[in-house]
Amino acid sequence: MEEQIVVEKVSERSTTYWSEVRRRLLKNKLATVSLILLILMYAIVIVGPLLYRVDPNYINLQEVLQPPSKIHPLGTDENGRDELARLLYGGRVSLLISLSVTLLSGLIGVFIGILAAYKKGWVDIALMRLNEIMMAIPEFPILVVAAKIKIVPSSIMKLIIILVVFGWLGIARLTRGEALSVSEEQFVEAAKAIGASNMRIIIRHILPNTFHIFIVWATLRLGGVILSEAALSFFGLGVQPPTASWGNMLMNAQTYIWTAQWLVLWPGLMIFVTVLLFNFLGDGLRNAMDPKFFK
Amino acid sequence: MRNYIRKRILIMIPEFFLITLISFFLYSLMGDPFAELRASPYIDQNYVSQLIKSFGFDKPVYIRYFMWLSQILRGNFGISAVTGEKVIDLIKRAMPITLSINIFTFTFSLVIGVLIGYVSALKQYSFIDNFFTIISYIGLAMPSFWLSLMLMILFSVKLHILPPGGWMTPGMESAPILARFLDRLKYIIMPFIVLGFGGLTGWVRYTRSSVLEMLRKDYVRTARAKGLPENKVLWKHVFRNSLNPIATLFFLSLPGFFSGSAIIEQIFSIPGMGSLIIGAVMNNDYMVAMASLIFYSSLLLLSLLLADIAYALLDPRIRFS
Repeated sequence: MEEQIVVEKVSERSTTYWSEVRRRLLKNKLATVSLILLILMYAIVIVGPLLYRVDPNYINLQEVLQPPSKIHPLGTDENGRDELARLLYGGRVSLLISLSVTLLSGLIGVFIGILAAYKKGWVDIALMRLNEIMMAIPEFPILVVAAKIKIVPSSIMKLIIILVVFGWLGIARLTRGEALSVSEEQFVEAAKAIGASNMRIIIRHILPNTFHIFIVWATLRLGGVILSEAALSFFGLGVQPPTASWGNMLMNAQTYIWTAQWLVLWPGLMIFVTVLLFNFLGDGLRNAMDPKFFK
Repeated sequence: MRNYIRKRILIMIPEFFLITLISFFLYSLMGDPFAELRASPYIDQNYVSQLIKSFGFDKPVYIRYFMWLSQILRGNFGISAVTGEKVIDLIKRAMPITLSINIFTFTFSLVIGVLIGYVSALKQYSFIDNFFTIISYIGLAMPSFWLSLMLMILFSVKLHILPPGGWMTPGMESAPILARFLDRLKYIIMPFIVLGFGGLTGWVRYTRSSVLEMLRKDYVRTARAKGLPENKVLWKHVFRNSLNPIATLFFLSLPGFFSGSAIIEQIFSIPGMGSLIIGAVMNNDYMVAMASLIFYSSLLLLSLLLADIAYALLDPRIRFS
């Protein structure tokens, strides 16, 4: 008997969820431009200081509060330090803080959210009550209090710790909600039926299916942390001088609104633009990832 | 419904105690409020230890917690370590100032914001909608303290028409009421713009997305299909239903009446609650800081409760499940 082999040709490349998300995101012009500008922003604060070789902490009392000029493109501050150099180094600090806080608090939040959703019972109740109680403590005063506690010598490290401790609440709730509905799905049931371990189910099924929540949250949060850092540093409770951050540059600048307005303009503008771009990108991602909008 | 409310209130009690516990121990980590006095060579150390004893600071932290808690429950909030005044008097003085700013800006931004959000959603992608979408992106990303400083530069430094901060021109205390009102207006304009802008853009966003969601509902399509006049559909089916999440958010933002302006108060040197609590924390003024924090936390718990009740009242599906 002769066997007949039927070859079926696949005409189109198969699309996965993530390739579809990428396609949809790149179709959104605003989000794409924001993504490019943000990459540019990171590149500038990383590479910029290597090209613009001016010490951001060099005090020159002969050149105090100078308006923008050829030697100092953005002027100088109250100690005669070059504003552009401080803006670049401050950007490094602000973006580093926002990145590490977002990743750390995101990791903790996702872990707690999945744990609560998967373990259910008293673990869930205890974690969610803790979450609620921490949410009921007003944010800004408690951050101010926490910022006064001496935990670690480095003010940047301390800021990161504080913002992480109070930063996991939102994402834990979101992840828990999504993980609860994913764990009801039939593929999870099927995985359980063939004897997959809890760990495997969590890593192979629940985590990938809640990941889109994390991505959107993280993008919006990257901007939010920059605002929190700036607010705390603005009140002298965040990054301590002489290290520059966009927030504490604004704090110094507020004394000089009568004489040196350029000191107020630049750090605030950097914060504003960065947060704006993160929000554009975050919303673009949200729309790109929402299965409701898939055609 | 009654059971639901009863259960919600019962949950609040342990939550309240846990909040007091967490905040107390956080504050106790803040540092020794008597460190400066102890180190000073000019102050009689006997006096210092007497003072420490009178504040109960010679006892271990957990005993201090219970002492403090029992005082709080009896309505005794202690004495400010900085000014020596009763904490309750400080709060009574600061509260009306904060309330007057916030109720004014809050009402304004709520009413205008909901209206704009409604119109934006009905005319999706029109000029108005796009305009306010851009504005609300700006409002979301704008650091309020930067906006305040930029306004100060514009109105106080460049144009010289508004004072850069404060609450009252010295000497105006006994002026006639109209003059005092006009004087107050000059001080309130900039905080009003900053707070109102932030609030407004938030309400526009929430209302817009809530109304858009309602417009997609099946019952709206049904109402239209059976030939109901469009304004009746919009009013009865869309607008009223879209107010549910808005009402919840309204109650959730109630604590903002008392604390929403903390950063702004500090920048414009307005002697309200925000300045009080931040100043207290900065100066290690234990009693004031603790009392304000407890006050806020209780308010937050209470508004969470109100939000839940409002939600249950507005949405029969929750009430009867």
